[in-house]
Amino acid sequence: MSMAADPTRPEYRAAGTDLSERRRSGVSRGALLDVAAPAGVEPTPDGGLRLGALTTIAALAADPAIRAGYPGLAAAAAGLATPQIRRMATLGGNIAQRNRCWYFRNPDIACLKKGADACPARAGNALYAVAFDSAPCVAPHPSTLAAALLAYDARLDTNQRRDAPIAEALGDGRAASAETALRPGELITAVALPAPASNERAFYKRAIGRAHAEWPLVELVLRASVEGGVFAGLRLVAGGVAPVPLRLQAAEAAALGKPATATTFAAAAAAAIEGANPLPQSRYKLDLLQGLVLDLLEQAASQG
Amino acid sequence: MATASVNGRTVDLPEDDEPLLLDVLRDRLGLTGAKLVCGAGVCGACTVLIDGAAVVSCLMPAKAAAGKTVTTVEGIGAPELHPVQRAFMAQDALQCGFCTPGFIVEAKAFYDEWRTKHGAVAPSREDIGAAFCGHLCRCGAYDNIYRAIVDACAGAYDRAGREAPRLGARDKVTGAAVYTHDIRHEGQLEGVILRSAHAHARVAALDLSVAQRMPGVKAAVSLLDASRTVTFVGDPIAAVAAADRETAERALGAILVQFEALAAAIGPEAALAPGAAVVFPRGKGLKYNAGEGGNSPASWNGNLRGPVSAFSLRRKTARKAIDAARAANDPLLVEGVFRTSAQQHNSLEPHVAVAHFDGEDLTVEVSTQAVSALGAEIAKHFKLDPARVRVLAQHVGGGFGSKGAMRFETIAAIELAKVARAPVRVAFSRHEELSVAGYRPAVELRIALLPARDGSLSALSLTAHSDAGVAANNTVAGLARLIYTAQAKELLDYDVISNLPPGSPFRGPGGPPMAFALEQAIDEAALRLGQDPIALRKRWDANPARARLYDWAMGLDVWKARTAPSGEGRYRRGVGVAAGYWLYLWQADTKAELSVIGGRLVASLAVQDIGTGTRTVIADTLAREFGLDPSEIEVRLGDSKLPLGPGSGGSRVTASIVPTLLEASAKLKARVQGAPAAGGNAPWRARLAASPDLSVIAGRPADAKRNIYGNASLLHEAGIVGRLFGWMLRFQQKLAVGAGAPSSVQVIEVEVDTWLARVRVLRAWSGIAVGKLAAPALARNQAAGAFYQSLGHALYEGREIDSRTGRVLSVNLDDYRTPGIGDAPPIEVHFEESGFDHVPGGSVGIGEVASVPTPAALANAVRNAIGVRPQEIPIRPDRLLALLKGAAHVDGR
Repeated sequence: MSMAADPTRPEYRAAGTDLSERRRSGVSRGALLDVAAPAGVEPTPDGGLRLGALTTIAALAADPAIRAGYPGLAAAAAGLATPQIRRMATLGGNIAQRNRCWYFRNPDIACLKKGADACPARAGNALYAVAFDSAPCVAPHPSTLAAALLAYDARLDTNQRRDAPIAEALGDGRAASAETALRPGELITAVALPAPASNERAFYKRAIGRAHAEWPLVELVLRASVEGGVFAGLRLVAGGVAPVPLRLQAAEAAALGKPATATTFAAAAAAAIEGANPLPQSRYKLDLLQGLVLDLLEQAASQG
Repeated sequence: MATASVNGRTVDLPEDDEPLLLDVLRDRLGLTGAKLVCGAGVCGACTVLIDGAAVVSCLMPAKAAAGKTVTTVEGIGAPELHPVQRAFMAQDALQCGFCTPGFIVEAKAFYDEWRTKHGAVAPSREDIGAAFCGHLCRCGAYDNIYRAIVDACAGAYDRAGREAPRLGARDKVTGAAVYTHDIRHEGQLEGVILRSAHAHARVAALDLSVAQRMPGVKAAVSLLDASRTVTFVGDPIAAVAAADRETAERALGAILVQFEALAAAIGPEAALAPGAAVVFPRGKGLKYNAGEGGNSPASWNGNLRGPVSAFSLRRKTARKAIDAARAANDPLLVEGVFRTSAQQHNSLEPHVAVAHFDGEDLTVEVSTQAVSALGAEIAKHFKLDPARVRVLAQHVGGGFGSKGAMRFETIAAIELAKVARAPVRVAFSRHEELSVAGYRPAVELRIALLPARDGSLSALSLTAHSDAGVAANNTVAGLARLIYTAQAKELLDYDVISNLPPGSPFRGPGGPPMAFALEQAIDEAALRLGQDPIALRKRWDANPARARLYDWAMGLDVWKARTAPSGEGRYRRGVGVAAGYWLYLWQADTKAELSVIGGRLVASLAVQDIGTGTRTVIADTLAREFGLDPSEIEVRLGDSKLPLGPGSGGSRVTASIVPTLLEASAKLKARVQGAPAAGGNAPWRARLAASPDLSVIAGRPADAKRNIYGNASLLHEAGIVGRLFGWMLRFQQKLAVGAGAPSSVQVIEVEVDTWLARVRVLRAWSGIAVGKLAAPALARNQAAGAFYQSLGHALYEGREIDSRTGRVLSVNLDDYRTPGIGDAPPIEVHFEESGFDHVPGGSVGIGEVASVPTPAALANAVRNAIGVRPQEIPIRPDRLLALLKGAAHVDGR
């Protein structure tokens, strides 16, 4: 978990799966603050769950209560990184991890997130850049769990505030110093999920070149309830395309109340890219986003 | 003090927050089974068990292991091997072995959990693909890894049984094999290299004095040559040795360098633009050679070197025929521009050398493909007596062409050791490995292929522009001379020089790019002629071994069931074919010593086993000759003091050493026969046991004069120029090009997901003609591995740069994407064993030819699936989407 643009400022460390790589390369050089925070999954009085920030990704993916009530979160946890990473990496660390931009990760290159005044990717090689270009930095948000948690209206506790909506903690992606709106010194301690919806299905999928173990070009979390062949509830959150996980409200609106048929899927896919402003090299991500919307809507309609 | 239990032993953990578990295991506890490869949790080579769960130790803070049980590969399999270790050995689920400890640790945990949950049943390929996706094998032993895990889980290895077909496999599955990267001598220093941040500059001043005086620093040396010019980002400037890497890296920061920036040209487009800065005016200053031969003469025009056109055949006739066909809008004229990306070797063991002087004697342990040649090269470069230079390489974690010559890890280690008077290790980081350690040059190929009305091949024109940064001497188009008979061929090779790191030889240099253009053009010609693409190849191709491979491929059910693209549906399947060849090379000055020592047969020669199975080839060959088990033979290699052996390049090892060993065997048999103690008709085992110690040395005998090809060398098919080229190779490098061509024909079936733009390879067939198999149990593994590596080039692997600064961006294994086990389709390897009966032993090498057709076969399969032809690899999702979108009209042929 991090909080610094200045590479010499202190950083929180949970399992270290992100930070250790940046320290080995020299991108991050500040003091280490090993975090103490709860791990584990507990029910809350309102019927929801409270997830300790140090719960591992593997534990989230395997937890029966998460799998039953929040299958999109369980699937997202099971679908990220590699098994070895999932056994170590934590919920809090995943949300607060730094981006994967190859300019940011390269110790020899200056960039906005390392205190420089311009983004070298914007005018350079932007193959993996955002397609919804709404911040000075063009790196997509790296956290798969953040996208899933946004889809479930999760709220965060930190050492500085309680019960903050995750959208508030993630911010608008414009901060120069981090990929979240966490304040200096702020540390995620727990994540709360509201009571699960009934009659709902949820899915997660990422578009990648290889079969497994690749940072998503685009990823999508979908929650849907289908009643009488009609989409009665729908939530779509995309990752890999914007500086923060992106809720696709136009696509939701295009499908809500409509029959769960191919015509509706196509309308939702077309609406999914509303407002997109890709860089020339990242335009392809919009096609992948539409493909994912079609794929997951079709799955939602065909199951049960 | 916090402690952990490591392999059953209580150890103190460092108090410091910083150290990572892997570094503690390797550097403080001497447990070097776990490897440092990517340092980013991608490749899994560092995997260990923490309380039974497999995690990557390269990212885990050491202090997080406090109170926990740590199991490394060294802690598995003692006193008895674990079933997964037995399975990996018996199924030959490894090649170079550098990734093997990580796989074994994960496989142990997977097996234990699987058996608890499911009992002795086989997991599916999908189960294994998902569970092992955090492990990368660069040699591509994936198909055998699948088999090993499946069979182990199913219970086939619960008891000790089958022996490993590969010599040294036990050391590799237990972590006992010591690679150069693992060497830790007493008092050994760590060296690091200061590299240029500029793409092109002159070093006006270099001051090492502050760095030299820093505590812990033992040596600081300049690596600049007389020109004092750096020509790419990452060009070496100086090196520092210190007691540890951190100190050495800090010292790099204290070196004062003043640059005079020079105008740079970055990438081929900029290099050829009007007014571009010229990197090497008329070739002056060119140092790097991307090819395997010497730099051939060529003309220069700015940054453009060439054309080299020597392999053309009636060049002007070809040009005229194609121009006329174009003017006449001849529908049979196939034209296109094809591009192949720069492919990184990415050997999992980085370039690493440990140098140390003992008086005047220099010993260099180094991860190299050529102990003999490197010893000579070091002696020449450092002006040392060759008799006082020794190069050692017992285990080498992959090479693929990148470790064939002396590189800066070796130069820096020697320079530093000379000053420090202590052993110095210089090991490239993954960042260095993926930026400045060499790569397969990117190529742009312009092709025109004209079938005649009678269905023969009238004319071929192929022009290649190779982008190897500051390296030259690429031969790509010229390779099209030695396959397919045409009336005329115009074959032009250019190098486009620019301020990017130097490319280098890579598995079949020039072969896969050439085939990518030529084999797609032939596929297109077959479509236009309405002919079966395999039948058309058979018609145009005079090689008898490939003719048999074509027959085999045409008989495959998947080929017979092939249909035209429908242009409909989300998932679209296609089948493609391509052919390839490589040169049959052998090292004419190869020697081997064969001895009886204490009744045991000992083979000694200065070759190295980089994962290709050379130890096993030697043992299997001798075992057949003497009626022994291969394990009874002692193989000594990896030492330049032994009789001269070939480098592991150009697929030359098998064809060089097998005939030599047969010759040595005959000599030894005559000596043992004549020895007084030996009994006349007893088995050789008994006669060797009774023999006094003795020893023979043999050279590489010539091939039989008569062969089915009717000439002494494949190069003779390229006329007088070919003969001249062959003579130069023989004269300069003692390298002979024999008759016949190692050949391959591959068939691939793909499924294209048109929504998510992914190409999934469903199945593959690789037909290989390399004569008799010298190590039959290993041959399939090497052929499959070459295929998977080349598939990576076709689908995923592309170096990415920042074209303003000349920095390589794809410098970690997240961004440089190699195939994982889930990307490795089932593969059937078919060996056609005839064709090399003129070679003593009848065997030639597999490593290169098995990779040549793959990108083309894959592209032809994608063409068959979607009706549009991929003209650029890797066929990334963004490129596939562009193809699908550009296909306003799907060509349904």
